[in-house]
Amino acid sequence: MEIFLQQLINSLSVASVIILIGIGITLIFGLTGIINFAHGEFLMIGGMTTWLVVSHGGGFLLGAAAAVAVVGALGFVLERSLFRLTLDRPMNGFIISLGLIVVLQHVVIRFWNSYQKAIPQPLASVWEIGGVRIVAMRAAVVLITAVVVAITFFAISRSRYGLALRASVADQETAALMGVPVRRYITGVFIYGSALAGLGGAMMIALFPITPFIGSVIVVRGFAVALIGGLGNVAGAVLAGLVLGLMDGLSAGYGLPEWTEAYSFALMILILLLRPQGLLGGTAGPKAI
Amino acid sequence: MSLLDIAHIDTAYGAISVNRDVSLSVGEGEIATILGPNGAGKTTLLRAICGVVKPKRGAILVSGRDMTRLPPDKLAKAGVVMVPEGRRIFADLTVRENLRLGAYAREDREAIEADIRRMEYYFPVLAQKRDQKGGALSGGQQQMLAIARGLMARPRLLLLDEPSLGLSPLMVKEVQSVIADLRKNFGAAVLLVEQNASLALAVAERGYLMQSGRIVAANAIAELRDSRLMRDLYLGAGKSRLGEAAAPN
Repeated sequence: MEIFLQQLINSLSVASVIILIGIGITLIFGLTGIINFAHGEFLMIGGMTTWLVVSHGGGFLLGAAAAVAVVGALGFVLERSLFRLTLDRPMNGFIISLGLIVVLQHVVIRFWNSYQKAIPQPLASVWEIGGVRIVAMRAAVVLITAVVVAITFFAISRSRYGLALRASVADQETAALMGVPVRRYITGVFIYGSALAGLGGAMMIALFPITPFIGSVIVVRGFAVALIGGLGNVAGAVLAGLVLGLMDGLSAGYGLPEWTEAYSFALMILILLLRPQGLLGGTAGPKAI
Repeated sequence: MSLLDIAHIDTAYGAISVNRDVSLSVGEGEIATILGPNGAGKTTLLRAICGVVKPKRGAILVSGRDMTRLPPDKLAKAGVVMVPEGRRIFADLTVRENLRLGAYAREDREAIEADIRRMEYYFPVLAQKRDQKGGALSGGQQQMLAIARGLMARPRLLLLDEPSLGLSPLMVKEVQSVIADLRKNFGAAVLLVEQNASLALAVAERGYLMQSGRIVAANAIAELRDSRLMRDLYLGAGKSRLGEAAAPN
């Protein structure tokens, strides 16, 4: 039981990072129809930003704040310069995002290098509660993600902006007729989704060393989470992230740990066979007219 | 200077030209209608006025201010709001959320709740269904919600695109009385596009006759109704339609 709980918290911390990525992917898809495969690279750049700040003597908190700001700004610039031009044809946005994977990876490798980067653990303590050893940093990652998810939910379901966002996801043209500046919402969602990826990157490098190639591994899982939950559905992404996290924990603790990835993808295939619209139902992307 | 002046508008979808040299105006509080056969370009003209379609040529003035080629949210802020064809209710939002969204462009946030109650007074069905999803409403109820949602913006000009489409004869009558009272109850001018000619002729004060993308006649509604051109172009082709629409009344 102790081992199970330990595994569960470990896998929840990884699931947290995946959930942050999944929320960004699912929000951007819901509003624009663009599947942004470069989202994993956004996370990688968040991690690298944190590493740069910490290795130049800044604290982890400063590094994490810088990661959120830098990646948020990157999302803004890329939306204004590239993705905005593809809003009529989201497939082109998807293709651009594939190209961005290569560009962003190689920019990082060119200026630094392709070796693994690490920072000292920001929270080094380990709590022991009833025989369960909890790494404080992992607990902090889960907590921070829970807070971010709660804020996101609250904003989407209760605020005026969330209402306009939901309306724009359902029917952009009618939302615009009611006075919603849909383009500004698209920019906002890109910035928010990217900032979450930056935060995810900071938390990732606080847990493990990362290389410039981490993005592709993460984005596949983030995309799986968005898809299992129902594309465009934030609650679905969170639920799917938890399900996959639990699956990881169970398989690492009780099954064969080397099959962890296979278990989660088998689960994904199974869920999509039974519920092609995802666990909580998604959108097919914005309507053309 | 009227509330809405459009001057020499051309519109097109890609290479296919729709409206040619269309000019019309709607006065403060006036109810105007654009009549014409299917495919004449009436809906496209409305979509150009509210900013969804960008005109190729010409100008759109709201109270004398040039609003040509501005996006729909800017027009909504200026008081020009469209109730689109097919109602386009947000099916997953509740009735109240639909109404609240209609008020998005407004600056006076405090007055929004009071206006929601006002809509529920004029459209009692919206009070009964306030917490239900928009998608759960019947077609007629959705049309009431669509008009009320448009009114939540406190528009000076409401563009109504085929509000009676697909409704039962009883609901058509109700829509007709709602439109007729829009000025009295909400102070809004109306530009109505409607296939049901008897409805349009009954509520409007001014009519424009459109054919093949052009305005071919413009007049006070009484004169337009009796004009030979109207009979030839519209009623002649659509006699049976007018007959059907008139019969249940």
